[in-house]
Amino acid sequence: MRRILSGVLGSGMLGLGLLAATAASPVLAAPNELVIGRAASAATLDPGFLREAGTLVDNIFDTLILRDTEMKLIPGLALSWAAIDDTTWEFKLRPGVKFHNGEAFDATAVKFTFDRVIDPDAKSPTISYVRSVVGVDVVDPLTVRVRTNGPDPLLPTRMSRYPAYIVPPKYIAEVGKDVFARKPVGTGSYKVTEFVQDDRVVMVANPDYWRGKPTIGRVVWKPIPEATARIAALVSGEVQLIEGVPAELVGLVKASPELNLEQVRNGGLTIYLGLKSTEKPLSDVKVRRALSMAIDRKTIVAEILKGLGTATGSQTSPADFGYKAIEPPAYDPAKAKALLAEAGYPDGFSIKMQVPRRYISSAEVGQAIAQQFAAIGVKAELEVPEWSVYAQQVPAGKQAPIYMLAWGSTQTLDADAALFAILRTGEPYSTVSMPALDTLLDQSRKIVDADKRKAVLLEIQDKMVEDVPLLTLYQEDSLYAARKDLVFKGRPDARLPLFDLKFGP
Amino acid sequence: MLRFLGNRLLQSAVVLLGVSAIVFFCLFLAGDPAALMMSPDASRAEIDTFRKAMGFDDPVLVQYLRYLGKALTGDFGISLRFQRPVMELVLERLPATALLAVAALAWSTTLGFVFGVLAAIKPGGLVDFLVRTVALAGQAVPVFWLGLVLILFFAMKWRLLPTGGYGEARHLILPALTLGAYYTSAVTRLVRASLIDVMGEDYIRTARAKGLSPGRVIIGHALRNALIPVLTVQAMYFAALLGGALVTEIIFAWPGIGRLAVQAIQNRDFPLVQAVVLLASTVFVLANLMVDIAYVLLNPRIRL
Repeated sequence: MRRILSGVLGSGMLGLGLLAATAASPVLAAPNELVIGRAASAATLDPGFLREAGTLVDNIFDTLILRDTEMKLIPGLALSWAAIDDTTWEFKLRPGVKFHNGEAFDATAVKFTFDRVIDPDAKSPTISYVRSVVGVDVVDPLTVRVRTNGPDPLLPTRMSRYPAYIVPPKYIAEVGKDVFARKPVGTGSYKVTEFVQDDRVVMVANPDYWRGKPTIGRVVWKPIPEATARIAALVSGEVQLIEGVPAELVGLVKASPELNLEQVRNGGLTIYLGLKSTEKPLSDVKVRRALSMAIDRKTIVAEILKGLGTATGSQTSPADFGYKAIEPPAYDPAKAKALLAEAGYPDGFSIKMQVPRRYISSAEVGQAIAQQFAAIGVKAELEVPEWSVYAQQVPAGKQAPIYMLAWGSTQTLDADAALFAILRTGEPYSTVSMPALDTLLDQSRKIVDADKRKAVLLEIQDKMVEDVPLLTLYQEDSLYAARKDLVFKGRPDARLPLFDLKFGP
Repeated sequence: MLRFLGNRLLQSAVVLLGVSAIVFFCLFLAGDPAALMMSPDASRAEIDTFRKAMGFDDPVLVQYLRYLGKALTGDFGISLRFQRPVMELVLERLPATALLAVAALAWSTTLGFVFGVLAAIKPGGLVDFLVRTVALAGQAVPVFWLGLVLILFFAMKWRLLPTGGYGEARHLILPALTLGAYYTSAVTRLVRASLIDVMGEDYIRTARAKGLSPGRVIIGHALRNALIPVLTVQAMYFAALLGGALVTEIIFAWPGIGRLAVQAIQNRDFPLVQAVVLLASTVFVLANLMVDIAYVLLNPRIRL
């Protein structure tokens, strides 16, 4: 009782306080300094060996190919690229670019960057992102060829994200990998001047940046793990931008005259219920279709997510290559009940369901779905597992027959990332085994021609509507909050390019 | 005395060995870290290769013995997430945690002492009632709530102190207040109870009969003996705090061992979790040992 009472009291008081505090608050930071509050702290700044999002390294390093604000691939450290045959891509490099330490960027640096990641002995945790790369050949100082182990239509995309950030070979040889991870040197828009683990990463603008000098002079990244404390720091002006606004505090940000809520539509992951579709009763497509019809997605998004998402029937996201717009399946409990009876379960059945408290109000969503299942006679025994345990159970196949997971393609913006890993037989995160889907999925990874590949990706999604391998629920928005004087636009690929930020009037 | 010391040292070693085994095997019950360490779209084969490279596929007993052997030479392995020796990481965080522990205990002990003595002068009186009420509240309030309320008033409303961080004295105030609140209450109650106990002893009656003032009776005679249990508990508190103040460190973004531990658990960073738990238990066991020795020195009634 004490905990309940204090919890209620606490959130009430905080609510009042936030409103009161926003009434009059001067901005404390120096005008040309930006402080960003993030939930996570950086463990390493070596882009080849990240175990976290590439948010920070994205500002220190550059990739050969960049994405503009429209999410189109544009020249980065490469001026142009082309497939010269099925397994070779040629990149023409940008001349005159220098690393922060003065070292020249050239073809050797590109080769070095990939060699160190694809070497199995290096144990890079992100090797799978460049799994198709067999080797890089230096043609001349400003031309490289990337060889792949087969046709890889996704190669340009792979070149636009970590671990493909180009690193300086001479510097790394000189200081070693460990020092590099803490004192990184790149070609990017900002230079790291200080890295104190779990406390701060300080960056200053790179005046010689090849795209021009960035506007904001100094940026401090501060990890603030506790969500309420993160909001408090924003309100008090200690930080000017925060990532990961908790859904329950969105109202407070909206109510504040000094803060902007940046709600990036479809910027988050797609939430779905995974099904162990090789086991009874989920092996019957009628049962899967019935479960899908029993869920009222639109009400869940409106009432529980408070509109911080979009009900959908697509596992892919609108910004993806190969996206297919699919309406959320109609909510029809009567038809669902009839389908169940047809499948031989007129009285429904009992089944375990796991929903982690990980995504926006996900535990509450789990409860709502359990009730909606109950309405058609399916008794779902809901379990809310601790995330770190659940995150081990899922790839090991030890989860419940119905389990909630979020998946997405924010890093590649390609339907492949949103589909393959959760649909292909034998993939760690897939509990689907449908030969027809496997054929299409494998095929999609071998076609280099963009239009033909898109056709296959769309076919896969048509097949999903028909066979219901999993229950797509909704796509979350991603949420940022910033002081009004900061000009900031959230991106669907979850990047935070400091180069594009500035303080407004 | 030497035999006592030897016995206690041996005991401590056995306890630590036990702890290391429990920590090691418990973590393995949770499953295999390889899948979690790799990026989500890694294939089964890629995960298997990684698992082999990290040595996660050996029998658990082999892994434990290998771990123990290295640990004896001071090598606790490489953190999976940070890719750095775990001892280095833990030692890096120790000063922040120690600073917070010392600051929290310093103010809470001082205040707890004053409150405790005040309350014990006249048990059942008005002062005693007030002190006991405040102490009860201090122990009952959850740390996370107190921390957030302090942030709300001192950081957001009055703009006097930062919401969190580390480095300057002003960063220390709120976390130390939050963490110390519980201990103030605990020390208050302990000093009070212990003092009231001692005040009933014969030698205090004798001191009073000699005509000494109440103040001199308490400070000169009673307090010294009342201190013994307080000292024990204080040493335990300090030892426990050196293992990291999990909640406080998270709320105030304090870069200490507690936060390191929480991150390590969330990331299934096995070597790091093991090192943090082992460090916490080592400090605890050592503190226990020192209290035992201090007892002998302080209390002439304990003879060896």
